[in-house]
Amino acid sequence: MTTSVRIAVDIGGTFTDIEVLDGATGLVHQFKTPSTPRDPSVGLIEGIRQASRKFGFDTAHIEQILHGTTIATNAVLERKLPDGAVLTTAGFEDVLAIGRHGRRDVYAITLSPPPPLIPRRHAFGVVERVRADGSVETALDEASVRAAAARIREAGASAVAVCFLHAYANPAHERRAGAILAEELPGVAISLSSDISLEIREYERLSTTVLNALLMPVVSVYAASLESRLREADLTRQIYLVQSNGGVSGLAKAAREPARLLLSGPSGGAAAARRLAAALDEPNLIAVDMGGTSFDISVVHQGAVATVNEGEIDGLPVRLPMVEMRTIGAGGGSIAWVDNGGRLRIGPHSAGALPGPACYGRGGLELTVTDANLILGRLDAKAFMGGAMTLDRDKAVAAAAPLARALGLSVEEVAAGVIAVINSNLSTAIRLSLFEKGLDPDDFALLSFGGAGGVHACEVADDLGVNRVIFPEHASTLSAWGILWSDITHDLTTTDIGPLEGAGEKLARHAARMTAEAERLFAEDGTPEAARELRFSLDLRYAGQAFDLPVPVDGADFSPSALAEIARRFHAVHRQRFSYDEPHTAVEMVALRLAAIGRLPKPVPSPGTSRPAGTAPMMRPVHVDGRVQDVAVFDRGGLGDQVARGPAIVSETYTSSYIPPGWNAAIASSGALIARRLA
Amino acid sequence: METIGPVRVEVIRNALVAAAEEMSLTIWRTSRSTVVREILDYSTAVFDSRGQNIAQSARIPVHLNSMSACLETLLSAHFPLDGWQDGDIVITNDPYSGGQHLPDIMTFRPVFAGETRIGFVGTLCHHVDVGGGAAGSYYAGAREIFQEGIRIPPLKLAERGVVNEAILKMVLANVRQPDETSGDLQAQIAALGIGVGAVQRIIHRYGTPDLMQAMQAILEGSERMMRAAIASLPDRTAHFVELVDDDGQTEGPIRLSVRIERQGDGIVIDFDGSSPQVQGPVNNTRAMTCSAVYYAVLAALGAEIPANSGCYRPITVRVPPGSVVDAQFPAPVTGRMVVNHRIATAVFGALAQLIPARIPAAYYAISYVYALATVEATGRRRVYFDIEVGGWGGHAGGDGASALSCGLHNNTNAPIEMVEARYPVTFTHYGLIPDSGGDGQHRGGLGLSRAFRLDADNGSLSTNFERFRHPPYGLAGGKPGSLSRTTITRADGTSISLASKVSGIAMQRGDVLTIETSGGGGWGDPAERAEEARSRDLAEGYVTR
Repeated sequence: MTTSVRIAVDIGGTFTDIEVLDGATGLVHQFKTPSTPRDPSVGLIEGIRQASRKFGFDTAHIEQILHGTTIATNAVLERKLPDGAVLTTAGFEDVLAIGRHGRRDVYAITLSPPPPLIPRRHAFGVVERVRADGSVETALDEASVRAAAARIREAGASAVAVCFLHAYANPAHERRAGAILAEELPGVAISLSSDISLEIREYERLSTTVLNALLMPVVSVYAASLESRLREADLTRQIYLVQSNGGVSGLAKAAREPARLLLSGPSGGAAAARRLAAALDEPNLIAVDMGGTSFDISVVHQGAVATVNEGEIDGLPVRLPMVEMRTIGAGGGSIAWVDNGGRLRIGPHSAGALPGPACYGRGGLELTVTDANLILGRLDAKAFMGGAMTLDRDKAVAAAAPLARALGLSVEEVAAGVIAVINSNLSTAIRLSLFEKGLDPDDFALLSFGGAGGVHACEVADDLGVNRVIFPEHASTLSAWGILWSDITHDLTTTDIGPLEGAGEKLARHAARMTAEAERLFAEDGTPEAARELRFSLDLRYAGQAFDLPVPVDGADFSPSALAEIARRFHAVHRQRFSYDEPHTAVEMVALRLAAIGRLPKPVPSPGTSRPAGTAPMMRPVHVDGRVQDVAVFDRGGLGDQVARGPAIVSETYTSSYIPPGWNAAIASSGALIARRLA
Repeated sequence: METIGPVRVEVIRNALVAAAEEMSLTIWRTSRSTVVREILDYSTAVFDSRGQNIAQSARIPVHLNSMSACLETLLSAHFPLDGWQDGDIVITNDPYSGGQHLPDIMTFRPVFAGETRIGFVGTLCHHVDVGGGAAGSYYAGAREIFQEGIRIPPLKLAERGVVNEAILKMVLANVRQPDETSGDLQAQIAALGIGVGAVQRIIHRYGTPDLMQAMQAILEGSERMMRAAIASLPDRTAHFVELVDDDGQTEGPIRLSVRIERQGDGIVIDFDGSSPQVQGPVNNTRAMTCSAVYYAVLAALGAEIPANSGCYRPITVRVPPGSVVDAQFPAPVTGRMVVNHRIATAVFGALAQLIPARIPAAYYAISYVYALATVEATGRRRVYFDIEVGGWGGHAGGDGASALSCGLHNNTNAPIEMVEARYPVTFTHYGLIPDSGGDGQHRGGLGLSRAFRLDADNGSLSTNFERFRHPPYGLAGGKPGSLSRTTITRADGTSISLASKVSGIAMQRGDVLTIETSGGGGWGDPAERAEEARSRDLAEGYVTR
């Protein structure tokens, strides 16, 4: 048994969650400490110190710190970004301002979209032109780059995004322009579209590059401060930051390519879901995370987390690989209201943490989902947040009263109505999330985590026809637990559009170049040979289609027979996702992708300790299907080998689970609480 | 019968919207044409047994408000309710049987609860080509609907689940890209099956009586909200006239006259005094006109109201038969959006007299549809088809949005890199047009300019544009937006200006086509514009003086 210690830290708005895997004992510990938003690294270091005292490990044994951070995300959402500039092909300076035209709110009449991240006056064109096939129509005019550099200096920009047309096909002009800018503008962050997102579609690539350029100063400053604080604290260990793709990267790469951190929030939960899918022998999981303001859905299918190659933040496209997530604005703090057509609506407004639900007694006067759960008795007024907070049922009832009057219902009927409506919102979102992938809820189990989800999960499963719900251990720090098992993941792309047939030699050349690049990154990370893994995939489509599908490639084999096998796989994937295939239509490739994975060493966790004997439940009056009845309330730690027969409640420090009539729940050997619907 | 509570109504509404969404995802997943997949020109909905639209996948306003009208016509004039069997599918694209224009093919299928027909599910897809005088079926020279493509009268495409292959063969023999049309029709058929399954899941879960009551409660809820919104309008009439350039064949302008009168909690919108139907293909049938009116009233008064047939009940639309807003068979209609957008801006213009603070100045109000056909050395034909947009009007709350898809349509642009990878063209410019937004306290959004060079030996250009003579109006003292124009600059440097609506214009290698779209109108007296706003406009180059 090694003595090494591995630590995962997930920094949220309110709490910093820490998971510790102690190689000396094989035990995994959880710890929560308040976040320090002004400098998150303060809370991180303080949390690690406290954890070391509490769990008795030596900080000198820490080998790796894996760190999930919202620093990039928040900088964009709050627009706390430096002044930037854009360098484009002359004649196309407005691509950022124009975007893709489509509007979201079909009937909106006062259309005033927010201004672009970089003002129009800071978009500069340079004389150059590359064609779609990568050939040069107009050579790069270096004088025009230097002229633009002078204007950028004048404008005082500290970050420059460079995005030329068809740079995905030939990055030479971007590279040369980047070199000139670096010469002319020392100290200014420069990001080339061909470095961060080598993909066709100029607006999406530019948007990604702009985000990356503007975040470079932000994340560099954070990385430097984190490193120096860790050095001061004598914690000079390997630090990794969690990326949107579900893996981690070293600090140097994160500072170079910070756009890869932007949608990393779901990565920890998805990594946890993937690990649980394997541990529980449930290859198909719908992972739902319900907190105070939102409900996030991700999908593990056949043991793999569903990923996509594009997402968006605050309406801005980010063309990078990321965990696929559907989010709706439905959480414990979502506010219920009656519109002037007499409809009972929930959200999208949320009471947030402040004032919070009415029952928190912090000045909230509007009825929230949490208030409705309290009114029905599904939450315990005295034992909320492990007893750290007392909930005020009278305030919840007072908040429900105006809705009761408007709808002509009793307060309890309103509360039950709020639960019914939110449950139907949640199950609808899940159904559509599976449906768009060609998947069927019947083949899945539901994995519920996040503080607010436990009281809804079984009823949502009922709506979907899902008959197993898994409540993992330590659901409130699950994201940090997932991060604990992450590996380094670099995503590399080569865009090359053309027929798949006969492309073997070209693909082999691309693969060799990408492999060399991956080796360079592995060396930068210090990943040993034995821990390196290369996974190639091809984005394919039928000739003429607008959308492509990723198809895995075995090794880097692009021989004619391997290509035939890849095409066969494509037809099969196409049939599953789109319900038809065309085996006689030519298959076109769009991009070759490489996920270069550097496996980080992990201490081996010991199997869980034997379960303590069960302690008898308390009884509490709860509204069940319109009637008040005494319901058994189990403490999760004391459930032991007992079966909680619905209606029942299983309560733990940061969450409660409601087991409705027709369901039974018990602790499985893995430590997870598993609820099953009776046949 | 016991009435169901508001909670059950809301839960069933959720499920019905999800049914429409599942149908929409099915079409997206299974269709083959880029019109559907990239431009997203399709819609799906669930209806009650009278053909009233209950729930829809919100995408394109002009589609959604029109499907219900089509189904109601089918039920009243072609297939009475008791003639629909389980598994039947009715198809049509005929503007004179409730359809829109020929490229928009609609399909409907009944939903049964036991023996009872409790409702319908429906789909509408814009197909890439339905034959006629020009590729893409936008034929500016059409004088009768017979020149616009194949007309499919209301027919049973399937009976009791068995598809009538003869109808498919007949349709596919008359279109230029039968593979894509066939694929998209299969997608529409598949989506109906998914929709029926989803609604039957609701029946299974909540029972037929609850579903039927919920559907009526949903309609009544929207109607109630719409009536309340209308009742808040001031009690006087308003009158507005919009002038459309022309029909592409004869001298314009085409006059759209609209008079709005509130009557209690209802509203009458009367087009008396509008021009007679025209020779060229910009005519609107009554159903098309209603669709634009519903959009405008809903956007102006009830953007928060769930859009369904209940919203339309308080709105009475009067159109003079044989006018450009109630064209009679066999008038051509493919370029209907030329007039359709302007019906909406006419209604907005009249409403602005009643509620000036809530209505924006006019937007560009035309779907700038263009198609460039080329023939490759191999003889392969290619059609580059695209849609441009312009600026939205200034409004009491701020400046109008620049280069945004507005009003009755809602499509995305085709990326330049995608276009160049597929068609023999090279773009030379794509940008906002300074000074194109109407001046005002709140400036109109800017139009845009898109220019590309033809790299093939020969090309043939068609455009269905507008606003070459009559710019988007300003409101409350604001100035109008800019005019649109199309220019071809020849390789030798000479240039020619094109008319707004053309087909078969010859282009040669090296010719550059420049399309300039209109900016939106301004809102409020320009003298009231804040100095900061003026200096920012100048600094950003939104204006040059």
